[in-house]
Amino acid sequence: MRILVAEDLYLLREGMVHLIEACGHEVVATAATGPETLDALLAHRPDVSVVDVRMPPTQSDEGLRAALAARRALPGLPILILSQHVEQLYARELLADGSGGVGYLLKESVFDADQFIGSLERVAAGGTAMDPAVIAKLLSASPPERGLSQLTEREYQVLGLMAEGLSNQAIGRRLFLSDSAISKYTTSMFGRLGIADDDDTNRRVRAVLTYLNQP
Amino acid sequence: MRRVGAWAAAAVVGFVRACAVAAVTLLVPAVWAGAVALGWSWGPANPWSWLLPVLLVGAGSLVLTRPVCRAVRALVARWGGRALPAGYRQAPPVVRMSTGFWWNGFSYERTRRDALMDQHWRIRWRDPANLRDLRFVAVAGFTAGPVAALPPLALAAAALGLARPEAPARLLGALGLLLAVGSAPYAWRVVIPVAERFLRPSRAMALAERVAELTAQRADATVAQAAEIRRIERDLHDGAQARLVALGLSLTTAQLLVERDPERAKALMRDAQDGAKASLAELRGLIQGISPPVLTERGLVDAVRALALDLRLNVSVETETPVRADAPIESAVYFGVAELLTNAVKHGGATRAGVTFRQDDHGLVVEVEDDGSGGVRERPGGGLAGLRRRLDAFDGSLEITSPPGGPTHVRMTVPCEYS
Repeated sequence: MRILVAEDLYLLREGMVHLIEACGHEVVATAATGPETLDALLAHRPDVSVVDVRMPPTQSDEGLRAALAARRALPGLPILILSQHVEQLYARELLADGSGGVGYLLKESVFDADQFIGSLERVAAGGTAMDPAVIAKLLSASPPERGLSQLTEREYQVLGLMAEGLSNQAIGRRLFLSDSAISKYTTSMFGRLGIADDDDTNRRVRAVLTYLNQP
Repeated sequence: MRRVGAWAAAAVVGFVRACAVAAVTLLVPAVWAGAVALGWSWGPANPWSWLLPVLLVGAGSLVLTRPVCRAVRALVARWGGRALPAGYRQAPPVVRMSTGFWWNGFSYERTRRDALMDQHWRIRWRDPANLRDLRFVAVAGFTAGPVAALPPLALAAAALGLARPEAPARLLGALGLLLAVGSAPYAWRVVIPVAERFLRPSRAMALAERVAELTAQRADATVAQAAEIRRIERDLHDGAQARLVALGLSLTTAQLLVERDPERAKALMRDAQDGAKASLAELRGLIQGISPPVLTERGLVDAVRALALDLRLNVSVETETPVRADAPIESAVYFGVAELLTNAVKHGGATRAGVTFRQDDHGLVVEVEDDGSGGVRERPGGGLAGLRRRLDAFDGSLEITSPPGGPTHVRMTVPCEYS
């Protein structure tokens, strides 16, 4: 894959580049500020980008804003946001356009190289990779709204894991169920949420959006 | 008929008030007039006959002015509904020094009793309020006093005039009665503007008070800040720092074992990874408690929105105007809102809450309302007292209305010179 790394701290940026190259992918560009990130995203159109939230020059949410602006210009441009902390607010903003291909993980997710590269590949393919902490917060948030209340407890669990970005096989392993059981749950869940039958990735993203109670 | 009754009641009440105001404001001028009359009766040409009257005037003025002014303030507060700040000097605490002497803020004394006495006299006689009180007594004696004395004097004239058989005297008596009844509801009111003009703390007194207030606030703020810094230091020292040492140890050991026992080396590396994750989680919590990253990245309103998403509570966040404030204020208000919302969930059992931000020329106003069980009270040393102290540092205010059974409504304000 052609990957862009946007991170202001030199050590982390270099470490990430090494890791990605060690896994056999190509780093097409690096960026250290918000404006640089936006330019690089639009110029290179990488298969997937790793972007930090807080960046110079203002040390505010420059990275996130650059990512959102790039996705407004190029809908569906795959971006994985890496941050020292996760906020539901940012997760909702990333998922709001409903086109998938976004991820939002804690920086320490790079400790597990296989999983990190897996997340990158998922996002590049138009799926989602959400940090379990965000999902856990969502699960403990106020009572579910808009259709989610019709789900059974098991379906709700499956949806939570789906929101993290896990595949059916991975969900099955997590819940000690067979693949066919999981796909039965997902089908009934899509039906209850009134999500039409188009391609699977899209359906998963839309289910997650419903889960994040976005209109 | 009813209007006549109401008028009569107002006249009676006004008459009583006028008598009270006249008695209080004319007390010191009466002493002065009495002293002059005394000197006159002993023979105005002889200087010795004026010695006692002069002493009498001095003593009367010095002893009576403060009680008279306190009484006027009480009357104005009670009938006029306006509390006038007195602005008298307050005594600082008397403390014993390591030398055994007592320091009262002015001088060292051998015993506590001496120190207190010395302090009392200094504070009582060097108070700039004395001059102001004296001035008020002199002014009121010629303005509010005579006007308030009008209804009782007119009534006395009426009683005297109506008792006489001659027609002119009776006519004057009737006029006096008319005047007494007509002026009774209004005559006492003159004391309010006079007191407001002459009994307010002077500029110098107000400044002195402000300095004292700011000194106290500064002491509060520095103590709170020092405690906070100590807490952060302790958390870093016991948490992240210790974990990083352990991490380094694991890596060193792994390096030694990598040739001989690669399996164990790998296990140690995994341990090191887990340790790094744990210390990162710890640091995240610590940073969240010092200054939430969202606040730095997005400002106050979005930080409160993010906070609302993480609570088990339905929170609506509304802002009528864009909100911009300095970082310390944003931080104080943010932690205030966080405190109020968590209280609403934990103690009030609230299910809904609303946060409203408004900023205009007067400053920043934040209102937090929840449907919890109410009965919220400020306890010394509690979270709300801490919030009040934090807002005090910016001259802000905190108003809590929380009847039992709810809803609880809290209003925080920070004036514009800070926001």
